[in-house]
Amino acid sequence: MQRVGTPLPIGHRSRSPPCSLLGAVVLVRGAQGDDVREARAGGAAHVVLCEEEASRHLQTEMDAQRALELLHMTVFSQSVSPCGKYLAAGNNYGEIAIFSLSAALSSEAKEESKKPVVSFTAHDGPVYTMVSTDRQLLSASNGEVRAWNWSDIVKKGCKEAWSRRPPYRSSLEVPEINSLQLNPKDNSLLLAGGDCAVHVMDLESGTFTHKFQGHSDYVHCLALRDQFQECLSGSEDGTVRMWDLRTGAQVQVIEVHKYEECSRPQNGKWIRCLATDCDWMVCGGGPALTLWHLRSVTPTTVFPLPPCQQHVMFYQDLILSAGHSPTINHLQISGEIRAQIPCTPHSVHSLCINEHSPEHKVLTAAGSSHKVDVFTNFSYRAFSLCFA
Amino acid sequence: MSSDTSKKRKPKVIRTDGAPQETKRSRAETDQDVKYYSEEAEVELRDPSKDYELYKQTCQELQRLMAEIQDLKSKGSKDSAGAIEERRIQSCMHFMTLKKLNRLAHIRLKKGRDQTHEAKQKVDAYHLQLQNLLYEVMHLQKEITKCLEFKSKHEEIELVSVDEFYKEAPPEISKPDITLNEPHQQTLARLDWELEQRKRLAQKYKECLANKEKILKEIEVKKEYLSSLQPRLNSIMQASLPVQEYLFMPFDQAHKQYETARHLPPPLYVLFVQANAYGQACDKKLAVAIEGSVEEAKALYKPPEDSQDDESDSDAEEEQTTKRRRPTLGVQLDDKRKEMLKRHPLSVTIDLKCKDDSVLHLIFFYLMNLNVMTVKTKVTTAAEMTTPISAGDLLSPGSLLNCLYPGDHGKRTPNPANQFQFDKVGILTLNDYVAELGHPYVWVQKLGGLHFPKDQPQHTVSADNSLSASHMEMTMKLLRTRLQSRLALHKQFASLEHGIVPVSSECQHLFPSKVVSRLVKWAALPYEDYLELSYTKDVVEAGLAEDTHLYYMALVERGTAKLQAAVVLNPGYSSMPPIVSLCLTWKGEKTNSNDDNIRAMESEVNVCYRELCGPRPGYQLLTNQLQRLCVVLDVYLETESHDTSVEGPKEFPQEKMCLRLVRGPSRMKPFKYNHPQGFFSHR
Repeated sequence: MQRVGTPLPIGHRSRSPPCSLLGAVVLVRGAQGDDVREARAGGAAHVVLCEEEASRHLQTEMDAQRALELLHMTVFSQSVSPCGKYLAAGNNYGEIAIFSLSAALSSEAKEESKKPVVSFTAHDGPVYTMVSTDRQLLSASNGEVRAWNWSDIVKKGCKEAWSRRPPYRSSLEVPEINSLQLNPKDNSLLLAGGDCAVHVMDLESGTFTHKFQGHSDYVHCLALRDQFQECLSGSEDGTVRMWDLRTGAQVQVIEVHKYEECSRPQNGKWIRCLATDCDWMVCGGGPALTLWHLRSVTPTTVFPLPPCQQHVMFYQDLILSAGHSPTINHLQISGEIRAQIPCTPHSVHSLCINEHSPEHKVLTAAGSSHKVDVFTNFSYRAFSLCFA
Repeated sequence: MSSDTSKKRKPKVIRTDGAPQETKRSRAETDQDVKYYSEEAEVELRDPSKDYELYKQTCQELQRLMAEIQDLKSKGSKDSAGAIEERRIQSCMHFMTLKKLNRLAHIRLKKGRDQTHEAKQKVDAYHLQLQNLLYEVMHLQKEITKCLEFKSKHEEIELVSVDEFYKEAPPEISKPDITLNEPHQQTLARLDWELEQRKRLAQKYKECLANKEKILKEIEVKKEYLSSLQPRLNSIMQASLPVQEYLFMPFDQAHKQYETARHLPPPLYVLFVQANAYGQACDKKLAVAIEGSVEEAKALYKPPEDSQDDESDSDAEEEQTTKRRRPTLGVQLDDKRKEMLKRHPLSVTIDLKCKDDSVLHLIFFYLMNLNVMTVKTKVTTAAEMTTPISAGDLLSPGSLLNCLYPGDHGKRTPNPANQFQFDKVGILTLNDYVAELGHPYVWVQKLGGLHFPKDQPQHTVSADNSLSASHMEMTMKLLRTRLQSRLALHKQFASLEHGIVPVSSECQHLFPSKVVSRLVKWAALPYEDYLELSYTKDVVEAGLAEDTHLYYMALVERGTAKLQAAVVLNPGYSSMPPIVSLCLTWKGEKTNSNDDNIRAMESEVNVCYRELCGPRPGYQLLTNQLQRLCVVLDVYLETESHDTSVEGPKEFPQEKMCLRLVRGPSRMKPFKYNHPQGFFSHR
């Protein structure tokens, strides 16, 4: 730091208190009067110094605030870019951070490369869910879905491409969007959330074409059953419903909590996660994670996992699931638990496998932590990407 | 004449070849001549060379005779006996002659000796005389050189130059007609002139002395007058004090302080000046004073300061000696430590008065040998306050000013050079002495204008006014804020301990009117205990819990549900929010690691603290946080879904108005209170 102003001569015999006192007064409140004008420059410099000090103080306050935010951060959603090199993660503060998987996975990866390449505030509320089309990243929060061009994001220009709001009834509260599901066949987007309905939006025109109503509580999750042009939705009301995408009619209702095999009344009846493989569906939440045969609508396997599961997916001949425990479960169709891999978050909200790029094929897990775990080999945690 | 005759006779006798009668006659003659005859006299007359010839002749004669005798003997004829007899007589004669010659020779030798002796004595006498003369000559020569080298006194006297002399001296003294040609006279004249001048000057000197005496007397008189004036002035000053006070013009005091300030060491002086200046310019409630003994300070500066180097040298020497003398080592080190940690006898006190009349007393010391400043603190409150048990550390001198600036805990010395000094006397860290000496916070050094660079250990550090000035305003503000926030906390703790969470009217809108959960306990928590709690792990790992912080445990209860809240109070409260970690005991133990809603409750209290700050400067933050904790516990308990499999009524019927009970993927409960509608919603 450069010091400005002439230091007063300090000697035990050669000082004159009244004079230096005057100088000091000037330093504090700025010059007043002609006789002390030359001291003004020094005074101004000190004002700058004080401001610097104050701003540094403010900075530490900001740092403390951010530290608290990190401490209480929950990462709800993830999505991999179409090129497979980037991972977007959205947290409860409405921020989306873009991590470079290629940098973090490269051999000369440093601590710095595990931090976001860019991060921006996308929504006012938490970023509950995200999907990627071949050009855009779609993120959803309270009552609104927004699109961001991947080409812009990579160049660190984070400008919203468009935003849409499903037609909601007016209410005190804006319903949240809990799940987004792309339907590539007719280029449409399925949205579901707080208003207990599933909306279908045409990505071409941006218009909402269908609204599937029937759930009595908000919808947690969606899954697409390609071959049948059907869509599944799991809800807080404890049901999984199947919808015909063409007509919008409700095909089937499975009241999961009513089946004794999987019902767990102490946890509630909510269905938090589901995945489908045409004939098979796996769903979990309050009830135990269960594999269903859809055609016969019977629970075939109940997985012995006491904690509530929050994300489930088919992967090759395995089922991967995670939830209210700091583990990622590898399950076999037969009902055996093949492995439970420890991870950082106490509660895992989303799992994501990068299928777009073979050399960056990793499993990422995010949840109630500011760290996103990366599994290169699915059987152990390689490292964590951190929000900053 | 007689001797002449005897002499003449003698050779005759000798020459006459040994006729016995003649020998008889000559004997008779010699008997006759005894009175006159002296061989000594005879010697005079005889020629030694002739004697020598005679001697040689006699010897030859003798040899011949001997040879003839031998011949005769060897012939052994009878007739030879007579010849031998004759020859024997002849040889006897010759022996006689030889004897005579021998005597003569003896006499001559004696004579010669006497003569030589006589001559030698004469020579000796002459030599002595010569020596004396030489000595005399030398002495005289010495005398002459002495005379030549003699210096007259007048040469030492500085005389005016010749030109000046002729110009200035009157002619009766200078007498140019005589002196111009005669240097001796000239010198005499000049000396005369010098004498004259000196006499005049002596006269003048006397006059001056008299004058001085007179003036001294005058001064004495005036002094007496002045000293009689002092008490009178004093009494006038004394009389004027009430007027000064009445007019808020403490000139007198200020002046005294400046006088004392002269004896302050530079850093304290800088602090004094700057604090005074700041107080006069911007902050009327700031009072600066100097305490301590001025006399001691004066004494300190009388001997020239021993430089640090000397001391360290002597230290090294002493160390060597102490190695030999083991038993006194401890005592010596102790003394040395004391010496090193010595404070300057003067200290600066700053009293910061707050709006509610409570005062923060800061006493600044200067450690002379370490070149750092320390501060001690004391708080006096306006009204007598009952001290809550948990508030023990709040106003304690040790923690009151902890981390005024981030990381500035005042336990280590800010002067990097000190570490080397400590090593020498075996001080591990200054921390052990902080209670006695006061805390060497970095901001204190800055107020004193001492700037210590972090990276280079040795650097000349001098007190700098501008540094002090630049930090004064900020620091004073921070100090006052700190005191006020601590006092506010102090008050709040008192009611918290009684289970009452004070909520001011300004903050009523933040909470619903009916809050069922109650705070039942509020207590301080040791740092070690905090670290051991299972549910504080995340906070500790995030580096938000340091040993400089204050820790408390709050217990909130409603029915069978007990919520433990471990609170970290940052010293920078309230700009730095307290951090709460929760553990709910109700149907099992729930913490942020197994329940997202507990995590959300923590976040509601910790992250969304800005809306809880209340009226500026936000001293009600902690109580508001605790109140919110009660509210969110209510929400948590009331909205917990009822397990349909269990018989009986819900323990906590839902009384709160909620838009939705759960929301979002993490099934969050509606923790956010909306005023004035009074319903709860999700954040």
